[in-house]
Amino acid sequence: MITSMEKTKTAKKSTTKEWSAWLFVAPHLIIFAIFFLIPVVFGIYISFTDWDLFNAPTFVGLDNYKELFFNVDSTFYTQLRTGLTNTFIFVLCAVPFCIIVPLLLAAALNTKPFLSKVFQSIFYMPSLFAISAIVIIWTLVFNVNYGPINSIFNTSTPWTGTQPYAWIALVVVTVWWTIGGNMIIYQAALNGIPKDYYEAADIDGATAVQKFFKITLPSIRGQILYTVVMTTIAQFNVYGQPLMLTGGGPNNSTRVLLMYIQQNAFGSGQSIAGIASAMAVILGVCIMIVSAIQFKFLRVKR
Amino acid sequence: MKANKMAKWLMMGVCAGLLVGCGNSSSSSGSSKNEITFWNPFTGADGSNMVAMIDAYNKTDPEYKIKNVSLKEGDMYAKIPTVVNSGKNIPDLTIVHAERIKQYNDNGMLESYDDLLGDYENINADNYVAEAWNLGELDGSRYSVPLDIHSWGTYYNKDLVEKYAPGALDDNILTFDEIKAAGEKAAADDVRGMAVTWVKPNFLSLMKQYGGALTEDGTEPTLDTQASKDAIGLWKEMYDEGVTTKDGEDPTQLFLAGKLIFFPEGIWLQNNLKDAEFEWGLTNSPQLSDDLNETVNWASSHQFVRFNSEERTDEKEKGIMDFLEWLRTNSLEWAKAGQNPATLDILNDEEYQEMPQSIFISTPEQQATLSIFDYKYNGYVAEYLDAHGFDTIFGKQEIDDFTSGMQKEVADKIAKDSSNK
Repeated sequence: MITSMEKTKTAKKSTTKEWSAWLFVAPHLIIFAIFFLIPVVFGIYISFTDWDLFNAPTFVGLDNYKELFFNVDSTFYTQLRTGLTNTFIFVLCAVPFCIIVPLLLAAALNTKPFLSKVFQSIFYMPSLFAISAIVIIWTLVFNVNYGPINSIFNTSTPWTGTQPYAWIALVVVTVWWTIGGNMIIYQAALNGIPKDYYEAADIDGATAVQKFFKITLPSIRGQILYTVVMTTIAQFNVYGQPLMLTGGGPNNSTRVLLMYIQQNAFGSGQSIAGIASAMAVILGVCIMIVSAIQFKFLRVKR
Repeated sequence: MKANKMAKWLMMGVCAGLLVGCGNSSSSSGSSKNEITFWNPFTGADGSNMVAMIDAYNKTDPEYKIKNVSLKEGDMYAKIPTVVNSGKNIPDLTIVHAERIKQYNDNGMLESYDDLLGDYENINADNYVAEAWNLGELDGSRYSVPLDIHSWGTYYNKDLVEKYAPGALDDNILTFDEIKAAGEKAAADDVRGMAVTWVKPNFLSLMKQYGGALTEDGTEPTLDTQASKDAIGLWKEMYDEGVTTKDGEDPTQLFLAGKLIFFPEGIWLQNNLKDAEFEWGLTNSPQLSDDLNETVNWASSHQFVRFNSEERTDEKEKGIMDFLEWLRTNSLEWAKAGQNPATLDILNDEEYQEMPQSIFISTPEQQATLSIFDYKYNGYVAEYLDAHGFDTIFGKQEIDDFTSGMQKEVADKIAKDSSNK
């Protein structure tokens, strides 16, 4: 009798517990569903249709993908190749610097130099600005006639209009803009490394470089993996910098896939949302594959 | 236990708040009974001129007041199909660019003004600039009423014109030959003859002068033509001969620094030139011939349209027409934004006559130079010109590739338009 009563009580308790668990994750779950899950599912569906935003989407099966992958004569085939190639070039050029520069700055700040808090704020500040503000600043810096870079080096390089300068400009702007986020993560990680390791290394006569590679790097391996993956994903979604700084030029060499996607779906002409969605799905798959590879190679082996 | 319960309620509150937030945002654009919801893309400096006009109108105590909703252009155009399809919260009145009207009409999204114009006989062809008025008439019905006609022109530095091109502007028409001569003279002093600016209006104006057109039948593009090649070719030639600004140079900066004679730009740019420390003027965009009858100035127009809506009552329709009729005779504020109102009533205003941009409307001959390219697929052409125009002028792409690429890209995009099939 008593046991059965106890049982119902515990059962009741556990359902209440379950409910409160759901309630706690609910805010995130709702936002996740509204702003991520539903749009993703809808986007994948749209990629199998012809849609102009005005009329109802018509289902066309794999036609969009066939056109993008196999129809050599199609403008959209060219767009996908150009856009994807340029996106990969950008990721390959930008991500290493987006990791190394903040890491070095964090390591430098970690030695607590004079005014380290001030420098920390200065390094972090660009991350607070919108990309449009950042690009306006750098457009002035790279200005052909009056820009400080051309004045200092006494050149007349059209930075944003010729290669490889356009890529260099884009990477510089991106690194400057994104230093803050990764730097903060590295600073926190570096703070967490026990001082004893370094003291022991000092006794053994290790140099600063040795300490960096043998102690610092291995200790923050987890954070580096996290930032490499997150930075890569972020840079795959590059859009604002080339849109405003180079306009995709010269000769489409910095036109990244997102620019094509945006223009096809929400350009100034009638929308071609089906093709745009298919391109977006392909970009998403690329990001997933690259992230998976990074995980495989960088995961801490225990 | 108590804390647990409280947390639960708190979470529930947060969730409810989230949902409420979602509900609210979608209904905020809905209009109340005696208000006309008016969507427009005026978020820049011109937005405050529009607000001033609406305030002035609302002060006349009309039965239906105007509720201004300014949206970022890209957002507004992305929102329109969704809102119109949903059938809810459709704006009562909307400003769209002239180039979009055919597309909206072909999708059956616009309501015609035919039944309303009877009571407002002053809203007619005689009282508006023809180029802006005519495009609103499709298949014998009127779907839009123009607010303005904003065109492309050339700003010039009066001192530099005096020095390098005396007399070139006596007829108010600037030819490429005159620019070339002036630019060659000025090059020695490190002054540029002409700026390479937004390719779309420059190219389209010139292509039309060479006898080209975006389309012959309204659907198929005709872009890989000799006229296209000649138009982009002439700009390239000007650049090659060192007459123009160079790749990467900022024309506005050079103009303000007194290093540029001729600056082809839109009439709306003049507010940016207020800081100029020299006298500047505004004239027609660069031409092939100095005959005013052959002059072409690229133009576009903001047009009032009404998207299909079952919620809009007949009384409200009347309120909309009252507003449009009021604007017909009260558009000076819009001219202050640097624009040219499409209503010819403005020509009677002395203050307007003093404004630099009034040259384009001042005479019927000048009005005839204005050319709106309202090809249904104009947007695709614009995207291509924006992406490839500068590259071709600056010698990074061959002229033949430019024109054939334009034809192909625009045709490929049109092939995707399901309303065509």
